[in-house]
Amino acid sequence: MTGAGWRLSAAEVKEWMEWLLAGGRRVVAPAGDGGLVLFRQVSSAGEVRLEGSAHARWSPKEFLFPRTETLMSYTFDDSNSIRLAPPRPAEMEQVLFGVQPCDAAGLMRLDDVFLGDGDGDQLYADRRRRTAVVSLACAVARPECFCTAVGGAPDGTDGSDAQLLPAPDGYLLRALTPKGRELLGGLDSGWQVTTDKDWAQARAQAERVATEIGRSPLPGDLPGRLIGAFGLPIWSTLAERCLGCGICAYVCPSCSCFDITDQANAYCGTRCRSWDTCTLAGFTRHASGHNPRPDQPSRFRQRVLHKFAYFPLESEGRLMCVGCGRCVALCPVGMDIRSAVDNTATEVST
Amino acid sequence: MSASGYLPQLMRISSQRDETSDVRTLRLEQLRPAPLIWRAGQFGLFSVFGLGESAFTIANPPTRGDHIECTFREVGKVTTGLRRLSVGQVIGFRGPYGNSFPVEDWRGKDLIFVGGGMGMAALHAPLRYVLDNRNEYSEVVILNGARGVADLVYTEEMVEWASIRGVKVVRTVDPGGETPGWDGEVGLIPQVFEKLGPQPDDRVVIVCGPPVMLHFMLQSLDRLGFHPEQIVTTLENRMKCGLGHCGRCNVGPFYVCRDGPVITVAELQLLPPEV
Repeated sequence: MTGAGWRLSAAEVKEWMEWLLAGGRRVVAPAGDGGLVLFRQVSSAGEVRLEGSAHARWSPKEFLFPRTETLMSYTFDDSNSIRLAPPRPAEMEQVLFGVQPCDAAGLMRLDDVFLGDGDGDQLYADRRRRTAVVSLACAVARPECFCTAVGGAPDGTDGSDAQLLPAPDGYLLRALTPKGRELLGGLDSGWQVTTDKDWAQARAQAERVATEIGRSPLPGDLPGRLIGAFGLPIWSTLAERCLGCGICAYVCPSCSCFDITDQANAYCGTRCRSWDTCTLAGFTRHASGHNPRPDQPSRFRQRVLHKFAYFPLESEGRLMCVGCGRCVALCPVGMDIRSAVDNTATEVST
Repeated sequence: MSASGYLPQLMRISSQRDETSDVRTLRLEQLRPAPLIWRAGQFGLFSVFGLGESAFTIANPPTRGDHIECTFREVGKVTTGLRRLSVGQVIGFRGPYGNSFPVEDWRGKDLIFVGGGMGMAALHAPLRYVLDNRNEYSEVVILNGARGVADLVYTEEMVEWASIRGVKVVRTVDPGGETPGWDGEVGLIPQVFEKLGPQPDDRVVIVCGPPVMLHFMLQSLDRLGFHPEQIVTTLENRMKCGLGHCGRCNVGPFYVCRDGPVITVAELQLLPPEV
């Protein structure tokens, strides 16, 4: 079935989205007016922005791993009694539609973290089971893009159940998993079947975009080299500008660290988890005041090493970075994780 | 992990003991009795509802398993809230998490437990496990120190332990921390340890305490010829989830909550210095 698929006009893609919406699913897609495109739940296909690879400002991570979610709630019955209630499990089927290939790959990194051991995280697992991903191959490269350096491609299929690829006069569509096939709902009988030439064109387009990105894969010995650079002074130089604002983690499709906090009054409360990041000073600070990572260079180093050295070492070489470049584009002081990795690796090899 | 992975079980404070002016030991009993199995050295996340969770070692050994104990110092938000609770009130517990002390591998060996300040709490479970299985182990030395006499924990138990055959208890306070009538040593733990001059042969040293104490203890152990493989400690990095997911206790490729907290110094030396 590899290579086989369908050719859809933009109108047919809209019809397909309407069909998905009519089926009672939550459809999450890039949408927005003007310059700011974000993933959000849409109620009609007309809201969706697929043209020209939207490059949404944030990844759709929050639809599997919300910024804040309740782990449990509790009620104080009287001074000596407490009733606990688990969170409500996810019930709705959802489709993440028009996801960039890098973001789809990012969801697989979340899977590594939350589903990698034993039964995994039940809240995440429930949501993940009910989620299907339709990615949209990239027809343009942005200056910050570097998926090709970290194992991805403009038409990469990691984490996708089905994929749309921009084509002259519309899109090509391929189903990649049984879940993706189910999403077609039989509509494919009315769609035009693709030819080898269609796929050759799509491949050529992806290669053109990859050339535009212009970054070759990071070397396989990178983890060892970066770990070798742990004690070098370069981290101070690299992190000199870092404000410790955490935006890089906030917009990152693979960052998955979180905090757990309670909010309560005299009668009831909730325990929540919310996104957190190793670049914030309080992340590792003990109650005593002792902080194993006492300064910004040591915190930035943790960010780089976790993504490009520690995580790959226990995940068969997969990097905890999918090259979306949002951290590069949105850093208020222009820090660039690509050059941080390159410069540090070079430091060790010379 | 089940659907209720973050749901604690409810525990009632059945008794409490003040170790020092800011350190307290709680004895906790399950509201709904259910099997609770752990190994010496594992930890739990203890909740004060409305304030949050803190990670403490389970201070009693599984050989005394009809309840759990924890010893904590009042220092942050949760521990201050915990200290305000009284006997009969309810807290949450989830766990056990993490690895444990290799007490089976220590059989037949001489053991030295070295605890500085609150570090003694981490030694409480393995030490009592060993004493509860006294015949399986050889000579046991307990070296316990604190800044001052008033900061020493488990003082009543120390007297009891000292009376057990083959168990030697040495207590010390930092210079200036002694009181009139103090009959223990005066000096920093590493110095007192070196004065004891233990031979490394067939011995295991279990050492827990503040980072600065650990630093100098490791130097002393090295001088006395101990190998990093025969020195065991615990890591105390900040934790939230206890499940290896939240990322907070990550040090190199090691997650303290999942791969620790018990670690040999040989393993510790392979990690980046972020503990």
